[in-house]
Amino acid sequence: MKLTGTMAYRSSEEMVFGKALKPVETRGGLRIGGGMVIPELVPHPRPGSEMSLKTLLREFERANQDALERCVAVGHPQVELENEHVFQMTHNPSWGMEVASQTARQLQEFREKYGLQASYRATIADVRRPEMVDLRTSDRAREVLESFEACAPFADIVSIESLGGKELFDHSLIRNDLTGMLFAQAVLGGRDMEWLWRQIVRIAGKHGCIAGGDTDCSQANTAMFMAGGYLSKDVPQTLAALCRAIAASRTLVAYECGATGPGKDCAYENPIVKAITGVPISTEGKTAACAHMSLCGNVMAAVCDLWSNEAVEYHRMFGGTTPAVFVEMLGYDVAAMNAAVALGSQKQYQACLIASDRYRGPHGFMLCPDSAWAIGKAITDNNGSFYSRARAAALKCGELLQSDPKLEFTAFERQSLQGYLLELEGLPSTEEDFIDLCLGKYGKVKGFRPASYGL
Amino acid sequence: MAAASAPGILTRFDLRIEAARQQARQVSVDPLLQKLAESLVLGREEEIQELVAQALRTKDPMQVIAQGLLPGMKEVSRLWSEGAYFLPQVILSSDAMMAGFALCEKKLGRSVEKKAKVVTHTAEGDIHDIGQVIVNALLNAAGFEVVNLGADVPVETVVEACRLHQPIMVTGTALMTTTMTAFPKIAARLKELNLRIPFVCGGGAVSEDYVTSFDFGIWGKEASQAPGMAEDALRGLGWEAMRDKWNG
Amino acid sequence: MAGLAIAMDLGTSGFRAQAIDRSTGSVISTAITTRHPLPGANVMDHVHFALDLGVETAQRLIIRAANRVLASLGVPLEEVGRLALCGNPTQLALLQGTEIRDLAFAGRRKLRALGVLDQVREARVLEARALPDLDLPVGCEVLIPPAVRHEVGADALAMIIQSGILERDETAISTDFGTNAEMAIVHRRQATTGSSAAGAALEGQHLTFGMLAVPGAISDLEPEPPHHRIVQLDDRMLPIAGSRIDLERPGPIEAGAPRPAGITGTGALAILEQAIDSGLVEPPRISTADARLHLGEEIYLSEEDVVEAGKAIGAVRAGHITLCHEAGIALDQVRTAYISGASGTYVDARKAQRLGLIPPQVRTVYQLGNTSLAMARDLALVPGTLERMSALARQLRQRHCLFGASPVFKRVFLLELAYWVEGMPLSQYREFLARYGLPALRPPSALPQVVRTVERDLGELGRLGLKTVSDPARSVQWRFPGCTGCSLCLADCPEGALSLSGRGAQALISLDPSRCDGVGCRRCERACPEKVFRLDELFRG
Repeated sequence: MKLTGTMAYRSSEEMVFGKALKPVETRGGLRIGGGMVIPELVPHPRPGSEMSLKTLLREFERANQDALERCVAVGHPQVELENEHVFQMTHNPSWGMEVASQTARQLQEFREKYGLQASYRATIADVRRPEMVDLRTSDRAREVLESFEACAPFADIVSIESLGGKELFDHSLIRNDLTGMLFAQAVLGGRDMEWLWRQIVRIAGKHGCIAGGDTDCSQANTAMFMAGGYLSKDVPQTLAALCRAIAASRTLVAYECGATGPGKDCAYENPIVKAITGVPISTEGKTAACAHMSLCGNVMAAVCDLWSNEAVEYHRMFGGTTPAVFVEMLGYDVAAMNAAVALGSQKQYQACLIASDRYRGPHGFMLCPDSAWAIGKAITDNNGSFYSRARAAALKCGELLQSDPKLEFTAFERQSLQGYLLELEGLPSTEEDFIDLCLGKYGKVKGFRPASYGL
Repeated sequence: MAAASAPGILTRFDLRIEAARQQARQVSVDPLLQKLAESLVLGREEEIQELVAQALRTKDPMQVIAQGLLPGMKEVSRLWSEGAYFLPQVILSSDAMMAGFALCEKKLGRSVEKKAKVVTHTAEGDIHDIGQVIVNALLNAAGFEVVNLGADVPVETVVEACRLHQPIMVTGTALMTTTMTAFPKIAARLKELNLRIPFVCGGGAVSEDYVTSFDFGIWGKEASQAPGMAEDALRGLGWEAMRDKWNG
Repeated sequence: MAGLAIAMDLGTSGFRAQAIDRSTGSVISTAITTRHPLPGANVMDHVHFALDLGVETAQRLIIRAANRVLASLGVPLEEVGRLALCGNPTQLALLQGTEIRDLAFAGRRKLRALGVLDQVREARVLEARALPDLDLPVGCEVLIPPAVRHEVGADALAMIIQSGILERDETAISTDFGTNAEMAIVHRRQATTGSSAAGAALEGQHLTFGMLAVPGAISDLEPEPPHHRIVQLDDRMLPIAGSRIDLERPGPIEAGAPRPAGITGTGALAILEQAIDSGLVEPPRISTADARLHLGEEIYLSEEDVVEAGKAIGAVRAGHITLCHEAGIALDQVRTAYISGASGTYVDARKAQRLGLIPPQVRTVYQLGNTSLAMARDLALVPGTLERMSALARQLRQRHCLFGASPVFKRVFLLELAYWVEGMPLSQYREFLARYGLPALRPPSALPQVVRTVERDLGELGRLGLKTVSDPARSVQWRFPGCTGCSLCLADCPEGALSLSGRGAQALISLDPSRCDGVGCRRCERACPEKVFRLDELFRG
C-alpha cells in the first residue's frame, strides 16, 4: 500500500472546528465538516439489558428517544447518535442489525415530525481478541464482517475500534517498553487495519453507507488512561504522549484504505489525522468526563467536526436521563462554537480552547493544532513504512515536548522522556530489520501470533 | 445579533410545532369533506352524521366515502400506529365512520362493497364481549364487513352464519373457561361442512395451547391483532399458515 | 355435648375455619388451607371442573378438604353442634352438591335453554348427615347463608354487614379485594352492588413469583431512599421488615432473614405503586435495564405482571366508577372506604388509593380483614343472623348491577385497558370520562386516615393457634394402560402438579388436584406421545 506523502493542510492556521477540507454528507442529511460542529451522542446500555434482544432494543430505543426529545426541547438543530456495540450485538450480527434498523426508524420519525437533522453511526465491536483467536480466519473475524454487512444498510456511518496489536501492546505497556509498543501499534496494528479496512470500505460502499474511521483507543487510550492525572505514577505522561503520536500512523491506515471520516471520537490522535488527510473528525473532551478523565478537555474541540461524549451509561439524573443530559451539554458546547463561526470569531474562540490546555500536560500540548500539524508532517515526510512514519512521529513529538520551556515536567517525566528518545534513535532504520528485531524479542510472548498479521 | 438566528446554532422547534398543529393533515381538497375527515379523526359521531347528510345534498355517496370517511379513518389508523391514539379513540372513530357509512348506503340504496366478510361472536353462555367490541371496531376501520353475531351465540348459529356468508375468517371471544368449550365444537362442525375458515379465538381464559389443539383454531393474543389476521386471510393464507405466523 | 361451633369460610383461594366455644364465644383455634382443593385458580375453573367431572366429584374433594381443616382445628369434633358457613355461591353450591349450571354461564339465552334462568339461592339449614362423609356428628346443624345474585353471594353480604356500612349516614364504598371483587356503594343508606372479575392477581396468583398470603411472602414495600425495604409475613402472618433492595438490580443490598418465598397480591401492588412513584414504571413498561423490578435474589415483577396487576386494578376502578354512575353520585362524593379479604387486610391503603383501588377523595379507610370468616363466626354464635342476611339479600337484589352486561362498565374498562396495556396517558382517560358523561376521576388530594380493625385477616387465632393445611387435596395415583413413563406430561405441567413413580409399563402417575390448573389446561394430555393420558380418570380417582 502506498502511504500518504502529502499534507492536506498547508498550515495549522487553516484548521478550525466545524470545517474539514473533505466534508461528508450522510443519508440522513447531516453535512459533517461543512462549516458547523455537530454534537455526537453515545449512549451506552446498562449491564443486564444485553440479556435479551428485546431488553437491549428497549434500552437503545429509550436512550435514543430521550436524547432526540431533548434536542427538540432545547432547540439543538442537528445531532448524530452513535452506538458502540456491546459484545452480543456483534457476536449475533442480527442483534446489531435490529438496533440499527430501529434507530434508523426513530431518526426518521424525528426528521418527519420536527425536522430534526439526525444521523446514526454504528460502531461494530471488535470481538476478535488477538490473544485468543486468529484475527483473519476465526469465527469471530467472520462475525465482525457480517456485522458490518448487517448494519450498513441502516446506519449512516459505520466504524470500529480495531484491536490489532493489542496483545503485544498490553505486554509492553506494563513494562514501559516503547519498542514493543511501537511494534504493536504501528507494525501490527497497521497491518491488521489494512486487512480489515479494505473490506469495511467495500461493504459500506455496497450499501451506500459512509465508512467512518477507526481509533487506537485500545492502545493509546489505555496508555493515556493509565498515565492519568497529576497524581498517577504508573505510566509517564510523556510515554502516553509518544504513544499517541505513534497511534496517528495506525489510525491513518483507515483513510488510506478509502474511509472518508468522520473519524471516531475516542481517537485523540484525530487532529494529526485531520491535518494529514482533511477528513472530518469526531473528538471528545470535557463532556466525556463521564467516561474518563483527561488533561485536554477543551483543546480537543479546537479542530473537531463532531463533538462527542465518548459513552455514557443509561441512568436517571435530576435533569433527566443521561442521554438527554449529555446531548444537552454537547449541544450547548457546539452552539457556542457555531456562534463563534457565525460571528467570525472562530479563531479567537479556538485560541481560548487551545490556551486553556496547552500547558496542562504532554497530551494537551502535542494535540494543539500546531503540534499536531508538525507531527503529521513528520509522518508524511517519512512514508517509507508504517514503522518509519510512526517512529518519526514519536521522535517529532518528543522534540516538540522538549522545545517549549513553558511546558513543565517533573524530574521523573523529563528523565523518562530522554530515555525514550534515546531508545527510539537506537532502533533500526528499516522496517524489515525492525520486524526481525521484534519477532526475536517478542516472538514467544504468550498470545502473540505473527500469522494474524501476515508475518 | 445575527448569530442567534443563524441556522445550525438553534432551531425553535416550538414555532414549527405550532405551525404544524394549526394545519391539520390535508386529506381532501373539498372543504366540507376535509371537515368531515377531521371530525372523524376526533370521533364525533353526531357531527359526522350532520356533515354526511349535508355533503350528500350535493355529492355522490361514493365520493363522500372515498374522499371523506376513508381518508379520515386512515388518519386515525396512522395516529394509532404512531402511538398518539389508543383503542378508545379508534373505537369512537370507527363507530362514527360506520354511522356515516350507513347514511351513504341509504342514499345509495345498496351496501358498499367491502374488502371481505368476517363473522365475529362471543361464545355461547358468555356475555363478556369487550374483546369482540374491539375486534369489530378495528375490522370495520380496516375496511372489512363485520357480520356481528353478538354475545351468547349458540354453536349452530355461528356455523350457519359461516355457511351463509362464506367469510374469510371467523372470530370467537370468551372470558369464562366454561364457555370456551364451544370453540372446538364450532371448529368440528365447520370441518364437517368442509368450511375451512380460519377461526381466531381469544379472550380472558382462552390459552394458546387450548386453541391450537383443534383444527382451524388460531389463538388471538390481543384484539388488536384482528385486522392483520384478516388481511392474511384475505391474501389467501390458510389456517395452518396463519397459526404458524401468529402463534407459537 | 354440642358445646362447640365451627365457623368456616369457603374461599376461592382456600378454606379458613375456626373452632369456637359456644358458651363464651371465644375462638379456640384456627386452621387454613394454602390452596383450594379443586383444580384451577378461580370460580370459573371450579365450576368448569364440576361440569366436566360431575358435581359429586367436586363435592367429594371439597368435603375431604373441609374434613382436613376440621381435623387440624385440634378440637373434639363430636362436640360440635353447629357448622356455620360463608363464602361465594359457587363454593357453597359445590359443597352442597346443588345446581351450578347457572353459575357456569352468564348469557341469558343459554341459561334459559338450560332451564336455570334466575336461580335464587336462599338460606338453608341442613343436617350434617346431608353432606356425605362430612366428619361432623349426627344432629350437628349446618347453616348456609343466601346469595344476592349468581356472582354476588354470602361473602358479599358479609362484607356489607360486617362493615356496618348500611347503618351510617355516609357515602361509602365497600370492596372485597379478591379474584372476584365484590363491591357495594352506599348512598343515603341505599346500597348498589356489583362484582368485577378482577382476576387472580390481587391474590398473588398469575404473577411470575406470585403466591397467596402465607408465611415468607412479600406483602409490602417501603421506601428507604434511595432504595426500598421489603416487608414480608412471619410465621404468625404478621408483617416484618425484610431485605433492603434496589428495584433496578438483582440481589439484596442488605439481606434480611429469612429469604422471601414469593410475592402476594398486596406485595405486587406495593411494588407497582413504588415503582410508578419513582418513575421506574409507566404502564405497561418497566424502564429498568432488564425490564424487571427486582426484589432481591431471583424474585422480580415482569412487564407481564404489571399488565396482569394493572388489569385487576382496572377492573376494580372501572367497577367503582360504574357503581357511582348507577347510584347517581360523583366518585369524589365517596369519602369512606371499607376493604376486606386477605388482600384488603394487608394492603397499604394509601398505596392502594394512589393506584386507583380506592376512590381518590376517600378520607377514611377501614381495613376489615376476612369478613366472610367473621360473618361465619356471627352465624355460629348469634341467633337471627341468618334471617338478617336473607333480608339484606332480598333488598340488594333490587339494585344490583351486572357489570358484564353494563355498557358503562365496558366503556370504563376499555379505558383501563388502554391505560394499563396500551400506555394511554391518564389525562386522556379523564377526558374520555368527561366525554362519556361519567363520574370524573381526579388525583387523590390528601392522605386518608387508615383504621385497621384487625391485626391479621383471620382476626384472633385462639389459644391453640393457627394450623396450616398445605395439601388440602389428597394426591391421586393412576396407571394408564400404554403409558411408557416418558414423563413428558410432568415436564409440560405448568404447576408441577404431577409426579411419577415406577418405570416403563409399571409407571404410576400421581396428581395433586389442588395444584392442577384445571380442565381448561390439559397440557398433560396434549403432551402425551402415546395419547393415553386421561386427566378425567385421575380426577375420578
